[in-house]
Amino acid sequence: MSKNLRITFLFSIVFGFLNAQSTIEGSVTDNDGNPLAGANVVVDGTSVGAASGSDGTYQISIPSGTVEGQTVTLVTSYIGYKSQSASVDVPSSGSVTQNFTLNVDAIGLQAISVTALGFETNRDQQGSTSSSINSGDMTRSGESLMANSLAAKASNVIVNPSAGDPGASTSIKIRGANTISGSNQPLIIVDGMPINNSTTYGGGNNITGGRTGGATSQSRINDINANDIASVEVLKGASAAALWGSRAANGVVVIKTKDGSSAGKMKMTYKRTESFDEVHERLPMQDTFGQGRSGKWGTQAESWGDKIADRTGGADVVDTSKPYFVSEDGTFTQYTITEKNSKDTYVNTNWNSVFQTGRFSQDDFQVSGGDATKTYLFSYGRLRQDGIIRDSFYDRDNFRLNTKFKLSDQVTMTSKAGYTYSNSNRIQQSSNTAGLLLGLLRTAPDFDNTHYKGTYVSGGTEYTGRHRAYRRYLGGSSTNPIYNNPIWTIKEQKSTTGLNRLIMSNEMNYTPKEGTDVVVRAGIDTYTDNRDWFFPIGSAGARNSGVFAQDVITNKETNYDVIGRHNISLSEALSMVATLGYNWNDRTYSRTSYNITGFLVNTDKQTVNVNTAAENSTVDNSRLFIRSTRTYGLLSVDAMNMVYLNLSGALEDHSTISKSYFYPAMDVAVQLTDYVPAPFTFAKARFAWGQVGVRPSAHRFQTLAESGFGYSSYSDPVDVALFGGGYRVDDDKGNESLKPEVKTETEFGFDFRMLDDRFSFGLTSYSNEIVDMLISVSKAPSTGSDTQYANAAKMENKGLELDGSFKLNQNVDFTFNWATNKNKVLALTEGTSVLTLVGGSVSSVAVDPTFNGTAQPLGALYGTGSQVDENGKFILDANGFPQITSLPVILGDPNPDWRGTFGVNGKWNGVSVNALFEHSQGGDYSPRTQWVLRRFGTTAETANEVTLTEDLVNVDGNTVAAGTTVRGSVHDFGGGKVLLDEAWYRHGIGGGFGDNQAYNFAVKDATFSRLRELSVAYDLVHPMISSMGLSSVTMRWTGRNLWASYKELVGIDPAVNQSGVSSGFGLDYFTNPSTKSYLFSLTANF
Amino acid sequence: MKRQSKGLKNMNKMFRISLMAISLVLISCEIPENLNDNPNEITVSDVDANLFLNGAQLANVIVQVSHLNRISAMFSGQLIGYTSLYSNIYGYSLSTVESNGEWNSAYVGVVANTRHIMASAPDDKLLVGIAQILEAHAISSLAILMGDVPFSEVVSDKEAPKFDSQKAALDGCDALLSDGITTLSGATTRSESYDIYYGGDKDKWIAAAYTLKARIALIKKDYATALSHAGSGISSSAGDMMYKPRGDAATPNGDKNLYWEILNGSRTGDLGNAKEGNRSYLVDLLDPAHSSYRGNAKTNEEARYGYYSIDENSSSGNTGVVEQFEAQPMVTYTENQLIKAEASARTAGFSAGLGALNSYRAWLAGGGRLNSNYNDATKYKYDAYVDEDFATDGMENPDGASTTDALLREIIEERYVSGFGTYMPFNDHRRLRGASETNLIPPFPLNTSAASQHVERMPWSQDEITSNSTVSDDPGLYAKTEVNK
Repeated sequence: MSKNLRITFLFSIVFGFLNAQSTIEGSVTDNDGNPLAGANVVVDGTSVGAASGSDGTYQISIPSGTVEGQTVTLVTSYIGYKSQSASVDVPSSGSVTQNFTLNVDAIGLQAISVTALGFETNRDQQGSTSSSINSGDMTRSGESLMANSLAAKASNVIVNPSAGDPGASTSIKIRGANTISGSNQPLIIVDGMPINNSTTYGGGNNITGGRTGGATSQSRINDINANDIASVEVLKGASAAALWGSRAANGVVVIKTKDGSSAGKMKMTYKRTESFDEVHERLPMQDTFGQGRSGKWGTQAESWGDKIADRTGGADVVDTSKPYFVSEDGTFTQYTITEKNSKDTYVNTNWNSVFQTGRFSQDDFQVSGGDATKTYLFSYGRLRQDGIIRDSFYDRDNFRLNTKFKLSDQVTMTSKAGYTYSNSNRIQQSSNTAGLLLGLLRTAPDFDNTHYKGTYVSGGTEYTGRHRAYRRYLGGSSTNPIYNNPIWTIKEQKSTTGLNRLIMSNEMNYTPKEGTDVVVRAGIDTYTDNRDWFFPIGSAGARNSGVFAQDVITNKETNYDVIGRHNISLSEALSMVATLGYNWNDRTYSRTSYNITGFLVNTDKQTVNVNTAAENSTVDNSRLFIRSTRTYGLLSVDAMNMVYLNLSGALEDHSTISKSYFYPAMDVAVQLTDYVPAPFTFAKARFAWGQVGVRPSAHRFQTLAESGFGYSSYSDPVDVALFGGGYRVDDDKGNESLKPEVKTETEFGFDFRMLDDRFSFGLTSYSNEIVDMLISVSKAPSTGSDTQYANAAKMENKGLELDGSFKLNQNVDFTFNWATNKNKVLALTEGTSVLTLVGGSVSSVAVDPTFNGTAQPLGALYGTGSQVDENGKFILDANGFPQITSLPVILGDPNPDWRGTFGVNGKWNGVSVNALFEHSQGGDYSPRTQWVLRRFGTTAETANEVTLTEDLVNVDGNTVAAGTTVRGSVHDFGGGKVLLDEAWYRHGIGGGFGDNQAYNFAVKDATFSRLRELSVAYDLVHPMISSMGLSSVTMRWTGRNLWASYKELVGIDPAVNQSGVSSGFGLDYFTNPSTKSYLFSLTANF
Repeated sequence: MKRQSKGLKNMNKMFRISLMAISLVLISCEIPENLNDNPNEITVSDVDANLFLNGAQLANVIVQVSHLNRISAMFSGQLIGYTSLYSNIYGYSLSTVESNGEWNSAYVGVVANTRHIMASAPDDKLLVGIAQILEAHAISSLAILMGDVPFSEVVSDKEAPKFDSQKAALDGCDALLSDGITTLSGATTRSESYDIYYGGDKDKWIAAAYTLKARIALIKKDYATALSHAGSGISSSAGDMMYKPRGDAATPNGDKNLYWEILNGSRTGDLGNAKEGNRSYLVDLLDPAHSSYRGNAKTNEEARYGYYSIDENSSSGNTGVVEQFEAQPMVTYTENQLIKAEASARTAGFSAGLGALNSYRAWLAGGGRLNSNYNDATKYKYDAYVDEDFATDGMENPDGASTTDALLREIIEERYVSGFGTYMPFNDHRRLRGASETNLIPPFPLNTSAASQHVERMPWSQDEITSNSTVSDDPGLYAKTEVNK
């Protein structure tokens, strides 16, 4: 309606000029003096009024013979701001000036939402669901990684940093899992341009460890500086996102970067952030028992050795005639130990030798300004971060230039460009003998890791550059230490990644006439990521002869949109906006990898010349080309200022699908404010329905000629490469009829406000079904193929979301959200009852409902468990211990039952306080680090001692007499008390090394509560400030993750995920820990 | 004002032009037809047909001389599974999972590629003929082992190819072998390095095809036909179809004797035949010191005893049949000649049978398949038998069987010994049991006291059972296959 009015008033203005009647004029600005364009100014009780222009000025011509000479009430309103009224004496002729300065409406600001196409709309008229996060919320927690700032900010948006490494990837999951084999991450739109947010693991070689056993990878969304962001809109529902077709199944995050202000003056801001990061959770370790087995000191892998307190003390007895080790600097010599006497333990020394207080400094400098015809914003952000793990770092430089030119009344040109450079070193982790925690936490408490490199001397022969770790305390003639000494992991190995990225989006806006505009957008997102991997000779495992590898990844995405919009006003009560658009998108990806193994020279120089023999190097490459076009239309109808209907459709053609697909959507909002009683001040019912999809991965149409294959029936491989090369028809059959996965979602909800809009809440219920899900289907071999990538599986999600806020008074407000999502895999396909998402002794899988009779959620935890009877009781062996199942079973569900957050925001005399709590109820997590360490006997839980009051049997069937003090504990599995001792943990089924353990005990309730953020900010008010040319200074102190409480988990933050950003989750295996931080920032505005 | 409006006009014009230009660019940038073609891997049609041959032949090697072959030997008194999986299998716990390797190798590894060769190079008669014989070899082997198998609808547009009856599948394979022979007859031999069996020698392929036809006829107990085909079969060991290991000794996996690869890897100790106190019947049969020794005045098996004995705990200690570079037999002169011997003894009379056996013994007497470590002429002897040796109280007939039965018994025993490493001993045993000729078969014992009968077939593959809607549950190890009913 407002546009309708605007046209009317435009005419009035024109006529007003012609007739030289009386006029009211003035300007509408915000608190900062920025003009507000498009504000409505109306003479109360009449239809006389005008809209402000782009410079914020308005002019109302009073039709002759109406209110000249009278005093009228002038009302101005603007979306997101509080309405204001003023009394004006209208002159009989001539003009009178009335200026308005509008205050931001805390709730009202939430009333602006951004659509999938990047246009602003009034949330009160919206039928679909989305959540807004403003720039203050994005920067308050002070995260160096932008995506982490989204955590706990909106219902059903689960944000997990995969590890605490600087720059580590962030998983964003909206409304649960929406695809099985595709990416489960939302589409990220920055200034109208879809950008790459991939997380690329490993490289072209397994040597780098890949997803579950390498280094953390980065999420490309984090290349954006949070300080550049003006607003984030999370489009959760299918109908809201539908215009993005096959890229929108996981939701869409629409990010707008800041614009300069058109207030006419230049503003400068400088912000400095200092952060101190600590390890968030640390597994309690024991220092009571030494290395060895069966209560005796030894150099075995485990720490089930002697009781350290019982040693004689003093120096160990050594035999200097036997082999020995001299450290690299010559200050330390370790002779062969013949008697272990020392009572020294090193749990904390070893920990502190690799962990530290992480720290980052971020400088943000921003200059912005402009006038009615142009605005500009330049920013530079400089982040220098040292991780909690020594030698890990993440440096990032962000440059941004956003400009807007009003070329004429009809044409506006906007250009937004951001350049990112980042450089980091990541530490090897997870299931990886050359990883950090694996080596550290398995290290015996009585072994000092300090001297990790040196010379092994045996019989006069010197072996230099040897790696000394607890299982090879003298180094050794072999270069393989079995597990890395963790100091070697951080000092000697490198996993660096250097990124150059440019994201630029240009927009021209053409308004040929009032009510019609054409928007042309052209954008590019391109980056190069150079990754180096270096493992010197002596690194544990397969890499012990040295590996130098490099991956060069380039990615480019180009995107064009042409959008036309036209307002049609059919009557006072019915108006509509028709939008028609065309999108063209092109993506190319290329990776070139090489690796050199088996160094000829024992060096730490990272060069390909470490071995020049041709057979020691491999080269590998991979390219992807993806292109799509989309024609889309949207019709928004506003009927009687009460019913708002959106109908949309996108016809998408995609290079990876066989024929084009049409994605329809609709939503309707009905404002019921007039029909609800006090104290309600607003009510709206909404309904939305829509389809979104996931495109098939690229290049899967053809059946190709496969090389490098082999056959084996049972440990007897034949390899075609050794028989002259050759090809076969790929056993993975191509599929020319690939379709997108299609998610159809229905949602309905209500939004209410009451008590003068102070209390507001929205409730949304949704359900979706995803069909034609793409998985690798097992084929009957007699068809000639083993697998085929095909549209086969089916899944559903059902959920409930509640978002709300309460404004207690001018100073204090509360926000809360709560959400639940229930996911079920409804069908995989014949021949595929279990699909592994992330493999391991405990895996995260998708299973067909036929697997155990009930539909399971995606990501279900799976592994060998304990045999139970129909009542769920353990089927015990003769000694009273559980027995493992012969086949893997479902062990748990990593999805939480519900998650809720509660925030409070208070402001008193320039001091503002923010706190954000989060609670996650239910769900399972498998802390496999803790579990495998039971076998190694290094954790505190294995150091318990018990004096038996009765004879008890251990898992081996040996009876231990009453009165004996045993390292272990007494437990009852249902058949009477039994003794859990070394036998149970180390070689029974109570540890967690490899398969065939009782992993049902290794799945824990993941319920947690945490204080995500606590911040105190103070606006410095002092005459000095203005005298220094400053307009304001704000100091902020923020604590992040300061407090957390877990129901069952010990020493692990369930946000951590071994496989990083992945459809498989709920697993930890020596994954680098998460962090908690203390930040201090100072912002000066000039 | 005027200037501005002119500027404005220009601006609009400029904008319109650029808009038009962009639209044109976009419309012309539609998605090219081939954009989704895989840029990283070679297209099937770009590869010469002969390059598909060695992969298919390696897959057939797995079908012939890998896991199921070793299992068949365990069910035939030749091998013993000592620990881990093989000890379970030895005790007749054999799941359908254990057939996945051979089954997938046959259909995905062999047939998918032989079909591609036939389709992509229809005029290359050498390749097409080889492909036809290779396919028939792989599928007939499965049909002989398992009974009903998919054949007529495999590698087609059928998502669930039906299982043909065993006879139908064998007849189909036999017809395919005839096609192969016909095709090759019109081909010319050429040096073909991707033919890792015969290097492109069409005559050897034709002979092998005849031996396979003879094998199929023998399985069906059609002895006259078997004899007839064997007449055109492999006539000397130079024509043997073998899996020949290659490469250098330092590369232990991928191109070596498959049995050696197992012992060299993590399965050391799992299976063998000569562990003291737990030896197989075959080894006893060859051990001059054992009461079951088959040697006599005309026969000395000491060399074969050494050659066939496997040290389950060592790869390097094996210098005989499972030595790193020892070739493994698939279709051989041995098989052909012994088909001749059995079939002629049955259809052409005692003398013909004896003649055929003696010519085989003459080959053995020249060293046979012994490798250089065991080819010590003082340790073997295979003198020609004469009629009297099979007469009552002759050296091969102590129990007074008919002379023909005594001869057949000796031929079958020779097949049992010479067939070590192939499916022949397992197949003969089932065939003769099926024909109620148990008097002719080597009396190797059952592997466990709990077992009451010998295995009648190998199971279908688990992968096929779960993914092919036309298949029912596997009939199990003890269901006789159609030809043996």
